[in-house]
Parts: sequence; structure tokens; C-alpha cells
Amino acid sequence: MKGKLWLVAALGAFMLVGLTQSNLSGKLIYNSNQSDPKPKAFDAKIVELFKKKYPNIQVEFNTVDHETFQNTSIRTYLASDNPPDVLTWFAGNRMRAFSSKGLAADITSVWKDNGWEKVYPKGFQNLSKDASGKYVFVPVNYYWWAVYYRKDIFKKLGLSEPKTWTEFLSTCDALNKAGITPIVNAAKETWPQGGWFDFLDMRTNGPAFHKDLTDGKIPYTDPRVKKVFANWKQLLDHKCLLENAASYTWQDAANLMIQGKGAMMLIGDFIRDQYPADRAAAELDFFRFPIIDPKLPIGEEAPTDGYFLPAKAKNLANAKAFLSFIGSKEVQEMGVTELGRLAPRTDVNPSVYAGKPWIEKGLKEIIGPADDILQFYDRDTVPEMARIGMDGFVKFLSDPGQIDQILADLESARKRIFSQPQ
Amino acid sequence: MSATASAPTPTRTRKIRRGPNPWVLGIVWFFALLWLVPFAGAIITSFRTFDDLNTRGFWSIPQTLTLHNFVRAWGEAGVSRYLLNSFEITIPALLIAVMFSSMCAYGLVRFRFRLATPIYVMFVAGLMLPFQVLLLPVFFLANKLHIYDTLWALIFFHSAFQLGFCVFVLRNFMKTVPFSLFESALIDGASEWMIFQRIALPLLLPGLAALATLEFTWIFNDYLWAIVLLQSDRLKPITTGLANLRGQYISDWPLMVAGSLIATVPTLIVFFALQRYFIDGLTVGATKG
Amino acid sequence: MQSAKTTPRSNRGSRMTTNLQQFFWLLVFLGLPLLLYGLWVIYPTIRTFTLAFTNYDGLSPARWIGWANFKELFQTEAFRLALWHNLIWILIFITIPTSAGLALAMVLNQGVRFDRFLKIAFYLPLVLAPVVTAMVWGWIYHPQQGLLNTVLVEILRFVKLLGFKVDPESARQIGWLGDPRLALLSVIAAAVWRQVGYVMVLYLAGLKTLDSEVLEAAKVDGAEGFNLFRYMIFPMLAPVTTIVVVISIVDSLRSFDLVNVMTLGGPFSTSEVLANYMVLTAFHDYRQGYAAAVAVILFLITFVFTLIYLRQVMAQEERRS
Repeated sequence: MKGKLWLVAALGAFMLVGLTQSNLSGKLIYNSNQSDPKPKAFDAKIVELFKKKYPNIQVEFNTVDHETFQNTSIRTYLASDNPPDVLTWFAGNRMRAFSSKGLAADITSVWKDNGWEKVYPKGFQNLSKDASGKYVFVPVNYYWWAVYYRKDIFKKLGLSEPKTWTEFLSTCDALNKAGITPIVNAAKETWPQGGWFDFLDMRTNGPAFHKDLTDGKIPYTDPRVKKVFANWKQLLDHKCLLENAASYTWQDAANLMIQGKGAMMLIGDFIRDQYPADRAAAELDFFRFPIIDPKLPIGEEAPTDGYFLPAKAKNLANAKAFLSFIGSKEVQEMGVTELGRLAPRTDVNPSVYAGKPWIEKGLKEIIGPADDILQFYDRDTVPEMARIGMDGFVKFLSDPGQIDQILADLESARKRIFSQPQ
Repeated sequence: MSATASAPTPTRTRKIRRGPNPWVLGIVWFFALLWLVPFAGAIITSFRTFDDLNTRGFWSIPQTLTLHNFVRAWGEAGVSRYLLNSFEITIPALLIAVMFSSMCAYGLVRFRFRLATPIYVMFVAGLMLPFQVLLLPVFFLANKLHIYDTLWALIFFHSAFQLGFCVFVLRNFMKTVPFSLFESALIDGASEWMIFQRIALPLLLPGLAALATLEFTWIFNDYLWAIVLLQSDRLKPITTGLANLRGQYISDWPLMVAGSLIATVPTLIVFFALQRYFIDGLTVGATKG
Repeated sequence: MQSAKTTPRSNRGSRMTTNLQQFFWLLVFLGLPLLLYGLWVIYPTIRTFTLAFTNYDGLSPARWIGWANFKELFQTEAFRLALWHNLIWILIFITIPTSAGLALAMVLNQGVRFDRFLKIAFYLPLVLAPVVTAMVWGWIYHPQQGLLNTVLVEILRFVKLLGFKVDPESARQIGWLGDPRLALLSVIAAAVWRQVGYVMVLYLAGLKTLDSEVLEAAKVDGAEGFNLFRYMIFPMLAPVTTIVVVISIVDSLRSFDLVNVMTLGGPFSTSEVLANYMVLTAFHDYRQGYAAAVAVILFLITFVFTLIYLRQVMAQEERRS
């Protein structure tokens, strides 16, 4: 079979997909963290299509609650001798934490055979490589973060999208006066606070500074970092943020916005999965995180999700076929039409974006003008630092007076974590 | 211990004439009902629709009562499969633990040898062990034995870990059996195994029932080990499976609560059917002190 | 070794063969159980101790680093908090559910009407899986849809009807699991809900073993009510109390499921306990050596109480034989 494959490969990338389907057989185990309802349904659909294409491959498809997946499961998978063959994961440091330890399979051949270097932009190629330049990851979709808001409420109160920090604060004041929580906020899972910190730091100190910080090159006790929290504190002083955020998951917080009890939320575009589809067009809109210092370059967040193969995966050939399928033009186009995520490939048919005006707006107002695009706090810094850091941000929210102590704690964690060989 | 576990005779021999103060009794009733509130709340919620609950609130008179949440939890959310897995883990683990510990108890009581007490102490110490201590090495061990992500990993671990408690209980139970019974059987030419099977085991039965009832609940209710030792959805027991559903149905409380109630049914059946044994099992480790 | 008791009439063979025979039967009866126990309980316990002195990350070869993990532990706030929270948990467990369980047992032991129903009400939480308890209580505590705040809103509505100026809906602001001041206590409350029935069962069984003649005699002597309890019953229950306290402490130290499902130790470690912290460092941070050090501390604390328990068990053993 190996010989046959070799022959087929020689026939070229196009034929490969068409001819191997009858040759590949055996098992494929795919564990996914796409546990929210809509992404899960899409995930299942992709698996069905793959099965149709490769009827001889027995696919075992597991979905794991995303918090359990990233907090516990993935580490046990990778430490075991029989991990799943394909795993969902995040680009950036989260991926590098595994590839640097030799836990991810080299999938350069998948990239080369499919000619992906021609259709994936350079930025995505770099996100997909390990430190030595081998490909270990396939990005399949990305989405931006922005301030989402209820445009019907804004309209009723005569408010417009705030562009600057002062406008942002006065929008909060106006909403408070109307008895609506200005910004719903979720911290039961700590990651939404990573988003707040990212944006506040990028707007206060610029994206380059922020990248150095997440790389562990700048102490958390740096006065510039403190300035970030001074700005954050202004939001608290203006009562912009939902109190008791730590009681709410992001879905809970989004529900408050859906119920009209809150007006804004800093979140990724996946909020659309949660928002009732029949109301979204009339009610849901977004704007770029307001500018604090106009002299700074503009950084945005566009976390990229994708796939990798554990180095110890048993069914590598099948897993590679799965990656080729999932990174293909058709599947990425489906991701756009069905989930509304952005496709990393440049060659997707523009018609898939039709009927989705928000995508046009996001590309034009968020992604397009950005000078720098980052992943996300918990993807840009190392996992342990991310956990401790985001805990610290939540602590700040509940007791802002403690900021010096919090930053001192983060700094001692940074010193320890980044002094170890990663 | 022997009194409570071996002889489930009616023990309320004399009623104290004067009952408790009505005030005291009132407080007890209040707390008993309060203790049932989570159950009642859960049951009411599970029969209502998500929209009804969300738009009209918990206190409104339900417009419709529905079994829909149970149907969805059972089918769409996969609770039926999780439940089956739970049984496939619990029953073999229970059988192994009970079988091995009866053998162990017999061996420790029947034969006098220097290591008998240290071995006994080792089992008793194990029953107090915070099992999280074993987490990492057990994971590596399961991986090395190539039973990671199989039900065997859980079956072996649970049966081994529960040996501590089982040996402790059964060994004390066995101590109450008159030694002469074994001796006379030996004279009649029975082998040790036959004595164990024909004489010791039947005598152990009440203790075994108490133990099995309790162990069933404990193993069935495990959550942590299934997270660490399994990765496939098709193998997950109900506890882990249910927790896994939180991601998908995070704000769909009626469905989650319905699933939780389904998860509780087997242990509830065991409890109500074998209530006396369950209580005996719980007290068996404590009252001989 | 004397095997007199095993084979008092060893006239069927020499002592040598009896010993061999005994060894054979020991192997039959103890071999498999000991193998299973040794492999899955004893070996992992020892392994945890050796891991604790390494920087093992689960992948790269482990390097011996001496006491470094332990030094770091005691300098880490999350660990100190976890330790402190376990202590609070213990203190609450050995007071509230213990006295409540004892009181219930005293009342229900007097043969009240419907005592079966009353007992079952307190037993039931014991039957629930901890993870199910955690999910049901997670719902009870939910700020917007939870049972508790819904009840509070109704109470405040009533208070408002009485003419007080309150906003009933403000009760929905209370985040039982999200407020750093409330999170730990809220989780422990759910644990207490489980524990009371357990303690009650143990005391009920203990009460049944009391010598009723001694009690009757005391009554004839005029001992009554609280005095009877204080000077007769409670001292006679002392062995049960020891067990109850030890079990409560060990259960406190084992607490994991409730924390892991309800708060994951948050917000910012305000409900962190040792067991959850260990799992977090092992599987999120991937510091298996460090996590093993946490496990060792957990083990050592438990061990102190295990010794007390063992002493009790062995003392009983002496008395019996």
C-alpha cells in the first residue's frame, strides 16, 4: 500500500485526494474541543463528509467540553502512548508549548502536497510552524475580537459607536443613567479578562510592547504595565463593567445582553453563535476597541483555531488525509457559510461572504486597518503564566486597590516561569 | 460492628416513653424539608421547558410539563450510553473488589503468620488515602500497561483502591466467625478453598451485601479518574459524560438537571432497595471502634 | 513461626509440609489481592514521593531537584491559600455537620413518627454523585436563574410589600460562587449538605450499641435530658466521635469534585483546595513534579489522622483478642 501511495503522490496533489480515498482504511480518532452547540454541529457535519469521502476509514469522533479539554484532557492525551490522531488546538504559544517538546507530528508534507503555501498568507504560515520551521499546525478559521453592542439600545438612547476612550467612558455613563449595565463581563472562566488586558495594553502601550510582555521580556511591575491598570480602573470608576463578573460564564453574560440588561460586551465574533439568529441583524453590532493613545500603532486580536497531530498518533496517514480535507477550499468555505468564521485561505470564493454583512465590516474596520494582529493573551504567553496572569486580572476586578501586590505576584511568577527552559 | 452489620435484627427494643420536645421535632422537620429542596427544585425544573423557565421565571405555574428534557438528555445528549458505561465499569470493579477482599479476609483470619497484622494495617491505611495522591503514577501506569483509554484501567484501579475498605470490613467480619467451624471442616477433609467457598462466604453474605451496596455507589459516582484515564467519548461514565455536556448545554439548565437526575436513578434504586445494607455498610467501618 | 492455631492436629504431616501448605494457601488467598493492591495503590504512593523531588513535566526525563518544589510551594500564594482553605473546610466539617448529625441522631433515635422519612431526607444527598451535587448546587447558586437568588427575590418582594425600600431584583446580583468572599463558603455549604446525613448514620448506629441497662440505671438515679446526654451518652459515644472526626477531616482533605465542578478553585484561588490545586498544576501547568510535592503534603497531613484512626482500630483489636 505504501508503494501505491508513493506512486499516487507522484501523480500530483490534485489527483491525490481523488485516488487515495479507496486506499486509505483503518481508524481515525479525532478529539475536538468544539463543544458549544453550533460549532459542535458543524464539526459533526465535517466528520460526516469526511466519512463519505473515505468510506473505508472508521472515524471515532469525540467532543470534550472546551474547559476540560484545555485544562486537563489535552495533556493526558499527549503524555499517553495512544493519543487521538487529530486534535483541535490554538495557534501561537499554546501550539509552540507542544511542538517545542516534540509532541506534534511534522506535517510539512501535508502543506507541500496540497500546495498550501500558495493559498495561505505568510502570517498564517508562520503561525503554523515550529521553532525549526517545520509545519505542525493547520489553521482553519479565525475571528476577531471587538466590542459587541446592542445597536437598538444605542439608537433608542441616541448613542453612537465610541471611537475614543473618552467617548467610551461617556457612553458608559449614559447607559448607566438609563439603568442598563454598560458592559457585561464574564470571569467565571478567566480568559475573557485576558482579552481586556490585551486590548488595554495594546491601546495604552502599543502592540510591540504587548508582544514583549507576553514573551516574558518585560516585568509586570513596569510602570507602563501599571498604566494599563489605571485605565482599566477608569472603567470600574465609571461603573462600566458588570459587577460580580466571576459569577458569569461568557454565555451567561451574553444572555444578559440578549435580555437587554446589558448593552456591550468585549468578546470574539463567536458571540453570534449564542445570539438568537432572528434578532441578530436588528440588534447585534460591533466596533473597534476605542483608541486611547492615537500615536500608537493599532493592534487587534484574531485568535486562530486549527488542528495538529500528536507525534505519537497511530494512524498518521489517515490523520494527514483528514488535515488535507479540513484545510481544503471547500471545507473552509463551508466554515464561512455555516459558522460565519473567517477562512485563512485567500482563495475562498468571495460569494461565501454574501449575506454576511458583518464579515465585510469586520474585514474593513477591524482586520484591514490593523497594524498588528495578535492571537490572545492565553495563546501568546506560556500556559502557566496565562493561568496565573488571568487569575490576577480577575483579582484586580474584584479588588483594584491591591494592584501593586497583584503585579508583584505576577512578576515573581514571570521570573520563575521564563527562567526555566521552555 | 458485629451487632450492626451481621445481625440486622429489629434493634428498637424499647421505646423511650417521652418523645422529643415538639419544638425540637419542628426544627428537625424544617431541616428535613430544607434538605429535600434541591431535589424538589431539580425535579420541578427538569419537567419544564427552557423557554418557560427563562421567560416566566421559576415561580410561575408551568404552562406545560414536559418529558422532553429527559428524552433529549437520554438520546441526543448521549446519557444512555454514558449510563451503560458506568455499569460496565462499576459491576466488574465491584465483583473483583468484593471477591478479592473476601479471599484476603479469609487468608488474614484463617492463617496465623507474622505479616498478617502489617498487611491488615496497610489496607486500613489505604482506605484513608486521599486518592488524588495516586493520580499521576496511576496515569503513567495505565499508559505503560497499555490500558489507558480502556475501561480496564478504571476497573483495575477502582477494584484495587476499594480493596482497602473491603478488606478492613470483611476481615473484621470474618473474625466473628467461630474458628471451630473451619477446623471441623478441615477434619472432614475439605480443602481450604472449599472451606472458604462453602463455609466462610455464606457467613460473610450479610457483610458482603452491605459492602456491595456502598461500593456500588462509590464507584458509580467517581468523576476524577474517568477524566484522567479515558479519552474516548464512547467509554465515558455518566459522571464525566454529564460534566462534559456542560460545554454544550451550559445555559440549558432543565436539560442538565434532567441528565443529573437520570444519573442518580441507579444509585437511588440501589439505595431504596437495599437501604438497610447501605446504612450497615456506612456504619460498619465506624461503630466497632 | 507458630502455626498452632491453623493446624492444631498436624498429625497428617510433618510441620514442614504444613508450613509449605500454609504458604501455598496464603498465596492462593492473598496473592492476587496483594498484587493488585501493590500495583495500583502502594507503588503509585511511593512513586509520588520520588516524583516530588524532581522537575518532571511528564515528557522530558525527570531531573532530581531536591527540596526545590517544597520550597516553592510554601512561597506560592495559591498553595498557601489552598492549605488554609482545607483547614477552614476541616474546621467547619468537624463542627457543623458533626453536631447537627449528632443532634439529629439523638432526636430520631427516640422513635418519632415518620422517622424513616426524616432519615431518608438526610441520607439522600449521600447517594448523589458529588459531581451531580456540584451541578445541582451550581444551578442553585446561579445568580440569574438559580434557586437561591430566586427565593431571595421573593423574600425581598415581600419585604417591599411591608413598605421597605428595596429592589427585589438586586438579589440577583449576589454571585455565590463568583464573589471571592462567598465562593469557598458556598462550596462548603454544599459539602455540609452531603455530610450531615453521613454523621447522623454513624451516630445512630453508635446509639444502638449503647448499653441500655446502664442508661436505664442512670435514669433511675434521676439523670435526665441534657444531663443524661452530657454525662452519660456523649462519653459513651466517644469512640464513634473519634471516627466521625477522623472521617470528617479525611473527607475535607479529599474534597475535589465539588470545587472542580463548581468553581475550579476560583475566583483567583479564593476557593482553591489542595486536591484541585494538585490536579491543576499537574495537568494545566504540566508540572508533574511540583504537583507530586502538593500530593506529598496532602498525604502527610492525612497520615497524621490516619494514625489516630489506626490506633483506635488496633486498640479495638487488642480488646477483642
